[in-house]
Amino acid sequence: MHAVLGRSFRGAILGVGLASVLILPALAAQNVNPIPDFSGVWWRNAMDPELPPSGPKPLVNLMRHDNDPHPNGGGDPLPLVGDYNNPNLKPKAAEAVKKAGELSASGRINPDPSNQCAPFSPPYIFTIQLGVQMLQEKDEIVMLYPQDDQVRRVRLNAGHPKKVTPSAMGDSVGHYEGDTLVIDTVGVKLGPVTMVDRYGTPQSEALHLTERYRLIDAADAKEAMERHQRRAGPAGAAPFDPNYGGLQLQYTVEDPNVFTMPWSAQITYRRTMLPWAEQVCAENIVEYWPGMNIGVPKAGKPDF
Amino acid sequence: MFNVRLTWPVAPLVAAAQFLLVTASARDAEVPDLSGLWGRQSLDWEPPATGPGPVVNTKLRANGMRDSDTRVGDYNNPMLTPFAAAEVKRHGDISLKGETFPNPANQCQPQASPFLLTQLEMELLQQKDEVVLLYMIDHQVRHVRLNQKHPAHVVPSWSGDSVGHYEGDTLVVDTIGVKVGPFSMVDQYGTPYTGALHVVERYRLIDGQSARDAEQRNEKLSGSAMGRFADFENNGKGLQIQFTVEDPGSFKSPWSAVVTYLHGREWLEFICAESPYDYVTGKNPQIPTANKPDF
Repeated sequence: MHAVLGRSFRGAILGVGLASVLILPALAAQNVNPIPDFSGVWWRNAMDPELPPSGPKPLVNLMRHDNDPHPNGGGDPLPLVGDYNNPNLKPKAAEAVKKAGELSASGRINPDPSNQCAPFSPPYIFTIQLGVQMLQEKDEIVMLYPQDDQVRRVRLNAGHPKKVTPSAMGDSVGHYEGDTLVIDTVGVKLGPVTMVDRYGTPQSEALHLTERYRLIDAADAKEAMERHQRRAGPAGAAPFDPNYGGLQLQYTVEDPNVFTMPWSAQITYRRTMLPWAEQVCAENIVEYWPGMNIGVPKAGKPDF
Repeated sequence: MFNVRLTWPVAPLVAAAQFLLVTASARDAEVPDLSGLWGRQSLDWEPPATGPGPVVNTKLRANGMRDSDTRVGDYNNPMLTPFAAAEVKRHGDISLKGETFPNPANQCQPQASPFLLTQLEMELLQQKDEVVLLYMIDHQVRHVRLNQKHPAHVVPSWSGDSVGHYEGDTLVVDTIGVKVGPFSMVDQYGTPYTGALHVVERYRLIDGQSARDAEQRNEKLSGSAMGRFADFENNGKGLQIQFTVEDPGSFKSPWSAVVTYLHGREWLEFICAESPYDYVTGKNPQIPTANKPDF
């Protein structure tokens, strides 16, 4: 009996050992490159992108200076006048930015996807939306943006079709590179108010966008957000969850019909403590800034 | 000898593997896997197995099928309060004139449950603390908080306040606090609701053949959408939603209906603002237009 028990015990030890040899490496292999956890609702309290550390930059507001307390919303008292002298703009694009800035400087509000309840195509969506929620599924990532329920879908580990049918959100494919989610987007459809940023910078159907998302340290996120908010102005005061770090989006825009060379920008989010809020464009014709009717077209008489 | 050498180490290994598998399957058994893209092409809802059902179309084609081009709800349904019956009749009268009456879908307005359950394609995404429901037309999104209660005071919103939990193989979603707007309705017949609306949806998987049968049966009764949203070639399970609607302002008693989805085909992007075309009637649903540009 002792012999049997002894053999059983030794067998068990051997078995567990073998199980360890066979199973643990398999589990460890799965964890060598764990998929970063981007779950939760991410938020920021300023619009526009942050400037990249180096290289060509996104357009900035010529009417803003650092620490200006006014929200960078457009209209009086702070028009949205993009830097149409940015050497990266091709002549026609510079002209469009200048025209949009003149309209805004005259006290009118330039029609854009936000105030026209149109789809927020990328990369415009990054510049205006304050929040994002990423649903990381096995074969896709669904990205939800709070203002007007904008949704993007990213097919994981897939290629773009040979012929992409242009759509408002474009064709997005993605993959993980270590701790980073990389998304590649082409085929963004052009609508009457489609633009790259809040300054009316146009885009063409040749637009190619690359996004890179990764988690960053909480202190770095806080510092980046505060620096950006001083430059770009405040837009809300959502409380952040101190138990989480930040999410950094670094994106690069290429469009040879609009820009002389690719440029990059950055956006930093932190986990918000606010619940997901419903914002329906169609029922709101007043912008966030007091008394500014954004001029949604109205019918002369009721149709019904 | 050969057997002994293999058997002794293998027995505990098998036990260890079984332990891991049993633990994994026990965990999986707790939450049914309802995630995925779901589609259907039959118009209207299916009647419940028993009890009061939804308002149905009284306008029939010569072949007995409901006329999906003309939506005249049964305003004599005894379940309707006088207010609701008058609204159903008013909308039916517009439809009888050959016009498309405004509803949340053709007015690019937010769609609340149960009107949302008329959509032909949806995606259900199960997260740890919530279920997210995405609907094809105009990026409608619902967030269902899991294992939580409604707040004591719900601020009305277009999606309402939805909480959910799993009961065995079923996801139960409870919604209150749905905002009422100018085009608010529970169905495609203009049946109204009030701030007292309470909807309970029960989602569960059913076998594929039953789902296909239900979808085809309903298609013969109520008509078919022109698009092919459901994948009839997929032999996987179907998703059945059984839902119950209560609203003493509109209904004298609760009523129920059933919606069956099959696996969906490719997700299509429908932006309401860029399409004034009503794909059901083939007519322009008269989106208001400005006399002159504002800019």
